[in-house]
Amino acid sequence: MKIDTAPTLNGTSSIPFDMPTTNRPMNLGQSMNDNASRLDGIAKVTGAAKYSSDMLLPGAVFIRFVRCPFGAANLESVDDSAARKVPGVLDIDIQMKECQYNGQPVGHVVGDSPAAAARALAALKLTWKRLPVKTLITDSITKAPEPTEETKKLMAGAALSHDAVYSTPVQTHSSLEPHGGVVDHKGDKATVYASTQGTFSVRDGMGDVLGLKASEFEVICEYVGGGFGSKLGGPGKELTLAAKISKKLNRPAYLVCNRAEEHLDTGNRPSSRTVIRLAFEKDGTITGGEIRTFGGVGVAGGGGGVAIPSGRYNLGNVDKKHEDVKFNAGGPRPFRAPGHPQATFAEELMLDEIAAKAGINPLELRRKLFKDDVYKEMLEVGSKLIGWKDRKANGSQTSVMRTGFGIGAGGWGSASPGGNAEVVIHQDGSVESRTGTQDIGTGQRTTMAICTADSIGIPLSLVTVQIGRSTLPPGPGSGGSVTSPTTAPTMMAAAADAKAKLFEVLAKEAGANAADFSVKDGAVLRGGKQFLTWKDACSKLTADGVKGSASTGDGGKGASQGVQFVRIDVDTETGVIYPRHVIAIQSCGRVICRKTAESQIIGGVIQGLSFGLFENRILDRNVGAMVNPNFEFYKILGPNDMPHIEPVLWWHGQTGVKALGEPPSVPTAAALGCALFNAIGRPVRHMPLTPDKVLMAWEGAVA
Amino acid sequence: MNSFAIAQPKSFEDASKIVTDKKYSLAVLKAGGIDLLDHLKEGLIEPDLLVDVRRLRFEGGRGSPGVSGGTVRIEAGTTLAEIAASDALRQAAPVLAQAVENAASPQVRNAATAAGNLLQRPRCWYYRNEQFNCLKKGGSTCFAAEGENRYHAIFGDGPCHIVHPSNLAPALMVCDGVVHLVGSSRKELPLARLFHMPDKGVKSENNLEPGEVVTFITCDAASKSGFYAIKEKQSFDWPLVAAAVALELNGTTITKARVCAGAVAPVPWALPNVEEALKGVDVANADALKKACAVAADGAKPMTDNAYKVKLLPVAVRRAVLIAAGRKAEVES
Repeated sequence: MKIDTAPTLNGTSSIPFDMPTTNRPMNLGQSMNDNASRLDGIAKVTGAAKYSSDMLLPGAVFIRFVRCPFGAANLESVDDSAARKVPGVLDIDIQMKECQYNGQPVGHVVGDSPAAAARALAALKLTWKRLPVKTLITDSITKAPEPTEETKKLMAGAALSHDAVYSTPVQTHSSLEPHGGVVDHKGDKATVYASTQGTFSVRDGMGDVLGLKASEFEVICEYVGGGFGSKLGGPGKELTLAAKISKKLNRPAYLVCNRAEEHLDTGNRPSSRTVIRLAFEKDGTITGGEIRTFGGVGVAGGGGGVAIPSGRYNLGNVDKKHEDVKFNAGGPRPFRAPGHPQATFAEELMLDEIAAKAGINPLELRRKLFKDDVYKEMLEVGSKLIGWKDRKANGSQTSVMRTGFGIGAGGWGSASPGGNAEVVIHQDGSVESRTGTQDIGTGQRTTMAICTADSIGIPLSLVTVQIGRSTLPPGPGSGGSVTSPTTAPTMMAAAADAKAKLFEVLAKEAGANAADFSVKDGAVLRGGKQFLTWKDACSKLTADGVKGSASTGDGGKGASQGVQFVRIDVDTETGVIYPRHVIAIQSCGRVICRKTAESQIIGGVIQGLSFGLFENRILDRNVGAMVNPNFEFYKILGPNDMPHIEPVLWWHGQTGVKALGEPPSVPTAAALGCALFNAIGRPVRHMPLTPDKVLMAWEGAVA
Repeated sequence: MNSFAIAQPKSFEDASKIVTDKKYSLAVLKAGGIDLLDHLKEGLIEPDLLVDVRRLRFEGGRGSPGVSGGTVRIEAGTTLAEIAASDALRQAAPVLAQAVENAASPQVRNAATAAGNLLQRPRCWYYRNEQFNCLKKGGSTCFAAEGENRYHAIFGDGPCHIVHPSNLAPALMVCDGVVHLVGSSRKELPLARLFHMPDKGVKSENNLEPGEVVTFITCDAASKSGFYAIKEKQSFDWPLVAAAVALELNGTTITKARVCAGAVAPVPWALPNVEEALKGVDVANADALKKACAVAADGAKPMTDNAYKVKLLPVAVRRAVLIAAGRKAEVES
């Protein structure tokens, strides 16, 4: 096992650091690199890494949006006389309009300091006429739609049937780094410091706003403090406004949302309401029925728990319809596996309820219903690791604390080949990897270095990586879990190209054939025998070194699958759920870095548990304003809520790089819901699974 | 947030004088600064002077809590972390240590002070959101009454439905806590009279006069005492319901009980009916204990979304009794 040492901190000390992986022996040796720590980890935790929101440029102006404080209101009058007198105020622009959600912008103020902008905002006198609001799917869809005649007939004729409604709340992305950035327009050129999942889509959307050609400005996004889908697409309203103001005032313009604005107006995972009516046989064979999904999309967009039926299970002939339901709230944006965690919660808990009605173990039912053998194999491995044999029958326990076991499954598609990369081998033996794609926190900088080092055959310490700039070779936006599946093979191809060019130089000088050369463990071999050290070989290069490039690699290798098992304890007197153990099996293809891959899976599980247990955008039902636009009452899983999470990398001889970003967050909340059902014997069909709902179910008032 | 000045007086008496100086439009005391910073960030107050009392110690006061002759003394500026770390205090009045050891986060506990914890403003999400001009801020509506009230009060008749946020307050209540003051003719005020219900003044929660500053807190030792909080999240969350209990026992039989609940009412909510019901109860008799604790929720008037708290309160009380009686292992059995 390779144990890396952290880069030196201020050149003075070397801190060894390592994530304990001894509890995951199953993953050892299944990757190009087992234990490399993030190359930028120390920079991030010490603050040396400069995020876009850290770019406080000399002479900058600061922008704040003026936003609607209510769920629905008409802006009737604006008195900005006091605001304009605030020292340091540079610009105020407000449009009269009718607003449809809390946080909807109606204009902006600009100040020469954050305080000046904030004071101007506070000094504005806006007169709003409040309008009636809707805040939930159930404000419009007050009851489940009538089943079709066909469904009625099917259910009446079946041995058993299931008719239930499931729901999930709105989850906000809650990225640590808010949306926005800094635009520095200098007349004939500009620099855009963006917090984005798409460096190149920001570039493509910025030209017109800046009035510049792509060659005249640069988008820089070296670090991103999370995005989870909400930072996909073009510049967004934040950077667009910052660009306009910078151009107008000829000063750097800073616009970064605060936490409340993040919750209100930078997207979310839409809520879902799922009506399931299925007929099934006594042996658990599901013969079909209907599923109606409703997505709580706020003022715009589409989505919700759309991805049911998932296609993973044989559910017979299911008639499926989806409807987006609008109400007075900020609209959705893509959120880590859009439509899947909500749908999976309904699908898996529905399966457990059907298993209970048929008197079949939920594990057995899934063995029966899974279409793909990979899932069945994962079931066998996972059930052993979680200790499924210790599972008690639903509701059979008598103690105050009851244990529950649950299963969830998830799947994801593959990525198309693409992306561009360059690798430069320098005369001094150092190697530089370049690709413009940003690192949204998944370890792009680290994996690019590993791909380069592995492809050439040199130690990781020789490689530096440049990412997150629009002047580098273009790469994909980080959405749909495509970043690694596209950039990794491309970077490996670019590194192989650079190595081949080095061999040509060596061959020419030695009068040999380039094909005779190879690199192993940092030494250059000729005909399989030691020829030169890496450093000596590179010294044969000209000052330019050699540059390899690739415009596409092998691409992603097929769809990915995952099965998760969750074990919880439930306090039946308080309704509090204590997650204890999660087994997260995830197909991943060829693993670039074991530690990074495991972290990605663990992160998905944490986000899924947090979704299942706590997260909830709560809008005041009368005013339509969010009552918890903060991290105090928008609750997110904390350290004491963390179970023991064991990621299992399902490698199994696959050679390509598979999606690993989204899939691990799909099954967790569902498995949690199933575990709760197992523990207390009654289903809680409405997330988040908070103590009030657990107690209500416990007392028999099942919704 | 506007610019402000910071005064660092040398004594509590000086702090009292400065904080009432009329030349400032709003002068406020700053101890740990936790609640103060929350208010500043949300734009709820705009003081022009902060009077820093963080490091002041009244005559005879030390950093860590002191115990002598059956009396516990905690300085106003003692941090929650220091309270939780004091072995002497944990022996003398475990309820105090248990009340603060899981409050907020380690970082907050290292800064938050004893007096600040008692006098912190409520966490009601309408009060804390500058967009809602609620009763506490001079408005005419309690938005919780007809709105989102899952974390609000189940006792009291309004007009404001906050719950008192302090964990330390109910713990001190069951130990007959007293806050000691400078800045007025009165030198001390029992915990039981420190807070008032909203109908006695909705804009504040306590009965301190302008210029009155808490210097230290005393309470009786209560070696058989315990605290139990039910929280949604086990990290950095406010209790849904909390209970503090102090017992006198003859063997396993309760001869005297003091019980106070947190997070259920606008003030720390003393439960004399439970105290009465617990008298003579054998803590080893689970059914009898359960029955005695069941009266805890008598008289509760839940709002639309918080009926669950009515169920949680007797559970929290019973578990606090078990912890106080040294029977922690039975809490979840």
